[in-house]
Amino acid sequence: MSKEYELDCMGEACPVPLIKLENKLNELETGDLVIVQIDHSCAMKNVPEWARKQGHNVEIEEVDDGEWEVFVEKAI
Amino acid sequence: MDIKNNEFYKKWFKNSYTYVAGAVLLSIMQIVTLASTGNPWGVSGVFANWGAWIYEAIGGSVDKWYYFSSKGAQATLEAGFMNHAPSMRNIGIIFGALFASFAASQFKIKKIKNKKQIFAAIFGGLMMGYGARIGFGCNIGALYSGIASLSLSGWVFAVFMFLGAIVGSKLLVKYFM
Repeated sequence: MSKEYELDCMGEACPVPLIKLENKLNELETGDLVIVQIDHSCAMKNVPEWARKQGHNVEIEEVDDGEWEVFVEKAI
Repeated sequence: MDIKNNEFYKKWFKNSYTYVAGAVLLSIMQIVTLASTGNPWGVSGVFANWGAWIYEAIGGSVDKWYYFSSKGAQATLEAGFMNHAPSMRNIGIIFGALFASFAASQFKIKKIKNKKQIFAAIFGGLMMGYGARIGFGCNIGALYSGIASLSLSGWVFAVFMFLGAIVGSKLLVKYFM
């Protein structure tokens, strides 16, 4: 059974959201989902880019002006 | 027509450009800057002038300061803010960035998450400002414009900025994670 986690990175500047996600994914099992909440446009670029390069499934949703949720499903 | 779903709007205003597109645009603009003002692009030196003008406005004097002692520096201060092309450019950067975030509908006043962020911002800003002035340039004036002018100093700056960035990253992981 895959689990779902929320990672609150609101108010955090680069590269803190990316490192937090990397650490979080290391603890998880394949198939688990992390929802990264960010409000830093540069993290909106490098978090999905990094996660896709690692082979994870990524989707981005713009939830409000300047706020995003990045859905990362651990694939490996 | 719904502008949010307009392809042209999404391509030009909403989605971020690629790093290559940004690099090419910056290169073209710095050539325009050099050609039109006669000086290479710089950012942080302007703030020293702004500081001097503010200090003079409240009755201070920087005539005797070594940093402003050259004839050129005195003439620039004398001519004032409105005749200072680099100041206009910095104002342009600030309002251009503001316009870009409004146009993409991504403007947001962010909350300060913890006191560490305040300390890091103030301390980091002071260090960068001080370092840029005693180094006669920041990552734009000394690094970017240095390399663009085929100057060896720009490359030396790059090597040591890279070393500094490594130390900075270690500190960041230690105190912000």
